[in-house]
Amino acid sequence: MPAACKTPLSADVLTEYWLEELEAEPEEAVEEHLLGCGQCSRDLQGLVGLIEAIRRITRKGLVRVVVSDTFLNRLRNDGLNIRQYAVKPGHSVACTITEKDDLVIARLAANLKGARRVDIVRCDAEGVEMMRVRDIPLITDNDEVVLTEATDALRALGEESMRFRLLAVDGADERVLGEYTFNHTPTR
Amino acid sequence: MSLAEAYPHRHLEDADVARLILGSAQGSASEAEAELYRRLAPRVRLYGLRHLKNDHAAQDLSHHVLLLTIEKLRAGQLREPEKIASFVLGTCRMVVRDWWKSTVRQEKLLQEYKRGLPTMEEFTIPEPDNNKLTHCLHRLLERERSVLVMTFYSDKSTQEVAVQLGLSSENVRVIRHRALGRIRDCMTDERSVT
Repeated sequence: MPAACKTPLSADVLTEYWLEELEAEPEEAVEEHLLGCGQCSRDLQGLVGLIEAIRRITRKGLVRVVVSDTFLNRLRNDGLNIRQYAVKPGHSVACTITEKDDLVIARLAANLKGARRVDIVRCDAEGVEMMRVRDIPLITDNDEVVLTEATDALRALGEESMRFRLLAVDGADERVLGEYTFNHTPTR
Repeated sequence: MSLAEAYPHRHLEDADVARLILGSAQGSASEAEAELYRRLAPRVRLYGLRHLKNDHAAQDLSHHVLLLTIEKLRAGQLREPEKIASFVLGTCRMVVRDWWKSTVRQEKLLQEYKRGLPTMEEFTIPEPDNNKLTHCLHRLLERERSVLVMTFYSDKSTQEVAVQLGLSSENVRVIRHRALGRIRDCMTDERSVT
C-alpha cells in the first residue's frame, strides 16, 4: 500500500471544501491534495455519503427538527407534500397524517422577543412535564417556532391528545410563552 | 485470484505507477495503467461531483481526464510523474471549464482516445445505515440537528444558515464541527441502535 497520508485534511476542511466555502487558493491546495491522496479522498467520499443520507432522511421526514420558512420552501420546491398545523398560544388543533404526507409541520406562534433560551416541553393531560427539548434554535424575525415532526412516530400514533408548552428559560426562571394542544386522529 | 495478482502495483506510490507508464507503447504497461485508473478515477469523480453536481457528468469527466492523463504518460509528455496530482487537477479544470460547450468534442475525443485503455473504476459513495443515522441525528442537540439538516439538505453556506438561525458564522461552524463529530462517534458506536 502507498504510505499513509502525512498531512490528512481535517473533517472541517473537507466540509468547507464540499460546501464551496474555501477561498480560491486553499481550495486549489485541497483539490491537489485530494487528487494525490487516496486516504483523504476516501474520507471525502465518507462525508459525501453522510450528507446524502441526511438528505434522504430529511426527505422522508424521519427527523424532528426546527427549521426556517426558507428551508420549508426549498422542501416544497423539491416536490415534498407538507402538511402544516399553525396553532396560537392556548389553542388546540385537530391533526393527522395521511399516506400522501412527506412532512408534518407544527407552527407554534409565540412572542419570542427577549427570550435567550427556549425549551419545548411535552406534558400529559394534567400538564405534568413528560419530555423536554432544551434550547431550540430561534429563527430570526419569526414570531413562531416551526418544527417538523418525525413522520414514522406520527404514523404510529393512535387517537391521542398531545400538549406542548414553549418556555423561555433564563437561569432558574421559566416563563410560559404558550401552550398548544394537538388532538391527533390516525387516518385509516 | 489473490490481491497481489489482481493489483500487482498496489504497493507503489502514484508517481511510481505513473513512471511505469511513462513513454511506454500502447499495451505494454496495461497493469500500471489499470492501477492508475483504479486509483485516480474515484478522486476525479469526486472533483466532478463537486463541480458539475451531476453523477453522470462526473463519471464522464473522470473517464475523460484519465484517458488524457494516460495518453500524456504514454507519449512521454508528463516529464515529472511526482507532479501527477497537479497535472490531473489542471486537466480537470480545463475539461470542466469547457464541459458545457463541448459535448460534441468530448464524444470525438472519447472515440479517439478509447484505444485499449483500462476503464476499471471502483467508485461507491458509502451509504450509512438510515436507521442508525436517524437515531444518531435524534441524539444531537436541537441546534446541532437544525444546523446539519439545513446545511446539508440544500447545500446552504455557513453564512446563510447563520442568518436563518440568528447565529454568527463562527458559531455555526463550531456547532457543525461538534455535530459531525458526535454523528461519527455515534455511527461507529456498536451500542447504537440499528
